[in-house]
Amino acid sequence: MALRNIGLWAVEGFELAFSLAKFCCCIHVTGSYAMGPSMLPTIDLNGNVIIVERASVWLQKVSRGDMVVLTSPEDPNKQVIKRIVGMEGESVTYLIKPGESDECQTIVVPKGRVWVQGDNIHDSRDSRVFGAIPYGLVHGKLFWRVWPASRFGSMCNV
Amino acid sequence: MGPSMLPTIDLNGNVIIVERASVWLQKVSRGDMVVLTSPEDPNKQVIKRIVGMEGESVTYLIKPGESDECQTIVVPKGRVWVQGDNIHDSRDSRVFGAIPYGLVHGKLFWRVWPASRFGSMCNV
Repeated sequence: MALRNIGLWAVEGFELAFSLAKFCCCIHVTGSYAMGPSMLPTIDLNGNVIIVERASVWLQKVSRGDMVVLTSPEDPNKQVIKRIVGMEGESVTYLIKPGESDECQTIVVPKGRVWVQGDNIHDSRDSRVFGAIPYGLVHGKLFWRVWPASRFGSMCNV
Repeated sequence: MGPSMLPTIDLNGNVIIVERASVWLQKVSRGDMVVLTSPEDPNKQVIKRIVGMEGESVTYLIKPGESDECQTIVVPKGRVWVQGDNIHDSRDSRVFGAIPYGLVHGKLFWRVWPASRFGSMCNV
């Protein structure tokens, strides 16, 4: 009888572990990325914990407005978070010197690339500096903010 | 495989082992053949040779076969300059520029097939 109980617990434990493993395979928590000020005020400097999912990137379901994790084209050791402002073929207009001048520039995003910008355009190295990045550098899409609790919720339309 | 790496890799179905450790440890260098995600089409993995690492100068023929005119560029930080061995039929950095190192995914290590060309892919 006791043996049967142990067996049932073992099966239940295994099923739970398997479900957890499946969950972790699709999503992983990004508490570990060093954050700069480039995504203020959306992501502040006080240690946010945001879940990143990779399925959207693999299925190519990311689009304009999504916040993504990408490998920096300037430093391959750095993973940075930016917002997609233009997909391939779209026109992007941006201020050349925000705060100083009203002069704008419009570019068309080349095929296979995306144009990314930080929300804090005054303090962000992004496509305005290094150009549209190849889509192959995009590795994850910000999905759900877990911490701080006051800002708990989806990262879509944020 | 396309014709861009002829004659090193021919069109008859080669089997080559690719290793990722060198890329992760950043031990790839000029002369290595690498697998990379195309900056023009993220669904395509292509094989090219690294001709220049960041900070190095690369000189290349603008129109090989037609003219002797050359251009020299310096590879920006965090990027590598890749070219196919078959410069007459290869879309590479001469077309799309130096690529970010983050697009490089593996280094060609050992050719297993065809048996006549079995061996290391270094210095090939």
